[in-house]
Amino acid sequence: MNRYFRELSVVGALGAVLIAMAVFAPAFYQPQPLLSLLTREAPTLVVACGMALVIICRQIDISVGSMFSVVSVCAGLLAARGWPLLLVLPVAMLLGALLGAFNGFLVAGLRLPSIVVTLATMVALRQGLNMVRQGEFVNMPDAVQWFGLSQSAGQWLMVAIALALLVALGLAMRHVAAGRFVYAVGTDAEAARLAGIQPQLVTFLVFVFIGAFTGLAAMMNIVQSPQVQPLSGMGLELKVIAAVVVGGVAISGGRGNLWGAFAGLLLLACVAPALTHLHIEAYWEKAIQGGIILLAVVADGVRSRKQN
Amino acid sequence: MPAAPLLELRRLVKNYGGVRALRGVDFELRAGEVHALLGENGAGKSTLIKTVTGAHEPTAGTIAIAGQPVTGLTPKRAHELGIACIYQQPALFPDLTVAENIALRLEPATASRRVDWRSRRERAAQLLARIGAAISPDSEVRSLSMPEQQLVEIACALGAGARIVIMDEPTASLTQKEQHLLFAVVRDLRKSGVGVIYISHRLEEIFDLADRVTVLRDGESVGTRQVRSSRGDEAGGPGLLTARPEPAEGSAATLTEAELIRLMVGREVAQIYPPSESAPGEVVLALRNVGCAASGVRDVTLDVRAGEVVGLAGLVGAGRTELARVLFGLTPADAGEISLRGAPVTLHSPQDAVAHGIAYVPEDRRRHGVVLDLPIAHNMTMAVHRRLFPDRWLRFGAEQALALDFIRDLAVKCAGPDAPGGSLSGGNQQKVSLARWLATKPKLLILDEPTQGVDVGAKSEIHRIVRRLAKDGLAVLLISSDLPEVIGMSDRIGVMRGGRLQAMLPGKSDPHDVMSAALGQGT
Amino acid sequence: MSSSQPRNWKALLLSHEMLLLYVLIAEWLFFYFAGTTVNRRGVTVGFGTVDRQFDILRHSCEIGLLALALTPVIITAGIDLSVGSLLGLCAILFGKFWKDAGLPIPVAAFLALGCGALGGGLNAALITSLRLPPLIITLGTYSLFRGLAEAITRGAVTYTDFPAGFLFVGQERWLGLPTQAWLFFGVAAAVWLLVHRTTFGRSFRTIGFAPEGARYAGLPVERRVAMVYILAGLIAALAAIIYTARLGQAKADAGTGYELFAITAVVLGGTSIFGGTGSVHGTLLGVAAIAVLKNGLACLPAVMRLNAAEDMSGLLTGALLLLALTGSVLPKLLSSWRAHRPAPAPSAPSPNPQPSP
Repeated sequence: MNRYFRELSVVGALGAVLIAMAVFAPAFYQPQPLLSLLTREAPTLVVACGMALVIICRQIDISVGSMFSVVSVCAGLLAARGWPLLLVLPVAMLLGALLGAFNGFLVAGLRLPSIVVTLATMVALRQGLNMVRQGEFVNMPDAVQWFGLSQSAGQWLMVAIALALLVALGLAMRHVAAGRFVYAVGTDAEAARLAGIQPQLVTFLVFVFIGAFTGLAAMMNIVQSPQVQPLSGMGLELKVIAAVVVGGVAISGGRGNLWGAFAGLLLLACVAPALTHLHIEAYWEKAIQGGIILLAVVADGVRSRKQN
Repeated sequence: MPAAPLLELRRLVKNYGGVRALRGVDFELRAGEVHALLGENGAGKSTLIKTVTGAHEPTAGTIAIAGQPVTGLTPKRAHELGIACIYQQPALFPDLTVAENIALRLEPATASRRVDWRSRRERAAQLLARIGAAISPDSEVRSLSMPEQQLVEIACALGAGARIVIMDEPTASLTQKEQHLLFAVVRDLRKSGVGVIYISHRLEEIFDLADRVTVLRDGESVGTRQVRSSRGDEAGGPGLLTARPEPAEGSAATLTEAELIRLMVGREVAQIYPPSESAPGEVVLALRNVGCAASGVRDVTLDVRAGEVVGLAGLVGAGRTELARVLFGLTPADAGEISLRGAPVTLHSPQDAVAHGIAYVPEDRRRHGVVLDLPIAHNMTMAVHRRLFPDRWLRFGAEQALALDFIRDLAVKCAGPDAPGGSLSGGNQQKVSLARWLATKPKLLILDEPTQGVDVGAKSEIHRIVRRLAKDGLAVLLISSDLPEVIGMSDRIGVMRGGRLQAMLPGKSDPHDVMSAALGQGT
Repeated sequence: MSSSQPRNWKALLLSHEMLLLYVLIAEWLFFYFAGTTVNRRGVTVGFGTVDRQFDILRHSCEIGLLALALTPVIITAGIDLSVGSLLGLCAILFGKFWKDAGLPIPVAAFLALGCGALGGGLNAALITSLRLPPLIITLGTYSLFRGLAEAITRGAVTYTDFPAGFLFVGQERWLGLPTQAWLFFGVAAAVWLLVHRTTFGRSFRTIGFAPEGARYAGLPVERRVAMVYILAGLIAALAAIIYTARLGQAKADAGTGYELFAITAVVLGGTSIFGGTGSVHGTLLGVAAIAVLKNGLACLPAVMRLNAAEDMSGLLTGALLLLALTGSVLPKLLSSWRAHRPAPAPSAPSPNPQPSP
């Protein structure tokens, strides 16, 4: 069977949805709403790139939603104080990287299970933020909106940044040795060690990366609206994990790629507009997403059972 | 000046705690030779490999590579020195492609390097072509068969420019055709000046392939013999038996085979085994053409009677443990008929087996036999929940009483029934595992390597217990790789090979006959 | 035997559960003295009142139930992230059965419990039949159950106006204690007996320590694993009913984030996330420690001024979980570091050599 069967089937499903939309709800293809949809998904895509790394490395990070909120509020506050965006951006990414490094230390250094570690940091960060901010919004100065560009230019810029990151990282995962190390560690950490790779270091670094990417995504979030909500990252982790898993990245590590994750993200992102355009109530979105995750995981499970 | 041997081991000793795995091994490997290593299970072959590949440090003795003494060998250093080992179970990355697996072994582990897929693929294709393997560099290792994975390992070793290649039973899972391919590869390696240490139980392979053979027994090298003279097209010093152009394969080979088996078996059956005191009763277990495709057990027909100890001899991978797993319902049989006391039964799960009075004391004591973190009492009652606690409520009094009974009965040395299983020595853990199954009052007891890693005292205690159980009317199936044990303990001996029951021999058979049958010689 | 007696005493007094009990007592005393005040009318208010203690009990019942549900799951080395979502789904279904289907409360409750067991059964079926990691399966059902609850209510409907007889369960006292506390204690006793006094509990522990070893001992591993997830679903449904009775309404976001508090309570209570070790009384102490922390913080004047008790307790709970986890692996980690120092090249452990005299 083709090595990329899994990715191709997601692309096929995405194509089917897009064709269905073209037939039953051509209104979906208006340029402005489509651009808005892509803009909305751009920060998610950035985080999904990081999540793909983490899951390929056979770990998981469910604290990204909380990290996203924390960095959004912190960066928003700095921007509101009049810091230039070019300075806020690296600070936001550094803050995200630090938060990720904390997770990475606990997982790689102390060898704690990543699911429980990030569950704990998820709640600690979210509640800590709430405690400090009391749910208060941060008002953003107009100059920050869309990086100070016009709305459509800002939207295009955002989509371009996300796609550039996707392409750069996707290529790096294939064509730079470090990217292959992530696969090696996710496939078999012990064999990787014997091949001269340091699995603990790789594990630590993927958490740092997802943190930094979450910081970047938070920046893309705060320039989109006049106010920064402290709960903006709620549920982001699930959306991102779902996209990555649906896109063919195996939860057991070592398999999958960013292109698949991108297709998975687009597929899931189409659920909500598809529901509205097809006149199904939007409340089904979460249930359908959960169903898609289970379907993808079960499909992988059945496949790996057949192989053994 | 004669070139120093590629690898030279002198008086190599390795102790694990109190156990002496190697008691002084001398071994020499020349460039361009295939040197076979032969010995019973537990003779020290794997320990020897581990010291050479740097996985374990020898306790005493010297290792010299190309004349240079080496100390503090690590896996990495061994790799740099050109030592490569091809294990039975290749240690590859299953999710990655063949090309990448080879690349990860050969390319330096620098993270910032650019990955050149084309050269990776080309190199893989080249290496695979050199050993004549028809494997696409782009296929995932997961999708390869075991022998194909071994070929990938050999390609890795070739690519790394290994001078010393160790092959640990490489043909164990190969078909005839794959085997020929592999032999051609090994001959090529020899021709290019590589030294190959070849471990195999199959004598015909050794005669086919090896230049010399060293026999290990009880951690000692008991002899090195020339298998064949050096051929015209191969470089090599004059052997002990000088130029005999084409030896009359048949006669010379048989002669040496007998000698090899004598070297391997060697020692007298000096230990005293408790005598058989019971007359076999009714047939408890009857197997008729039993097979299991998944685990490679084929066409086994066997009877075990009450009061009888039937030994199962054979080499590692001969299918003995696999047969036990079939009987215990872990990998259910898909062919033939299993009857217990005359009634045909189906054994689909361990629960079925237990319900029919089958008990299995597994080989891997620490993973399967005893739950190390649980107290002895819990371990002993684990298989008798139904009987001891019929209404599901635990009765600690009854549990303690049962545990104390068995601790006394089997003389388990422990701090008490509440001591965790992991606090016991190997022999006492084995007794706990045995107690668990005796508590089920089984009709058939399967013992899988019951005295492996057990000290001498506990070993003879276990032997006495087994005899006593047989006397009390239990049917015992004893799997053991310890040749004197299986011969000394059994009333009848079944010898397995390749998943089949190769021969059925009477008790107290000549070790030579048992080993011959296990090696597939003689009929 | 006599020589082991004193050691047993010492071991008992230093066991994880006892240490947690000391911490709980210290915590309680701290809040008793720091969080109790007398107001201008001479009435004692704050942490030290009986009413407040009952309040703590009332509010910890649902998370306590989920923690009880998770204890056997984690003892088998599994995890169930979906219990909080299942609580929400069962609450909605219960409300729907009663209000929309017009069933009597007991019947609706019974059906809701059945749905809980079904939800747990879905987890169990996927985990045991496909041998998939419980983590990812329950992450999927976490999303699915909550999504179904939202879909059924269209994100807006909440079921209210329950009869007083039902609200009695969640808001009144019976025989001196909050009514639901009796249910909670009943379930706690049942789970304690199950885990510590029956062969089932034995099997859970064995599976947690050594799943293969359990199979070789002839234990029905799949059935026992399925049992703990189904039981978890059942208890989550009971928690849903109590939740509805306490608040007087059933809504789709019921129990959001409860799974974390429940997991924290279990791990804090000494149950190893790697399976095998653990106790139900430890879990109860863990639940109490978290509940006292949450409510005690709310009584501290400094925190009251900030109006951040809820969030601060969440923050502290997350930190507590990390501390408890770190504490649980630290001995293992230290010994492995010590073991690795003399051997510069750690090699794959070989099962063969048995250094045993």
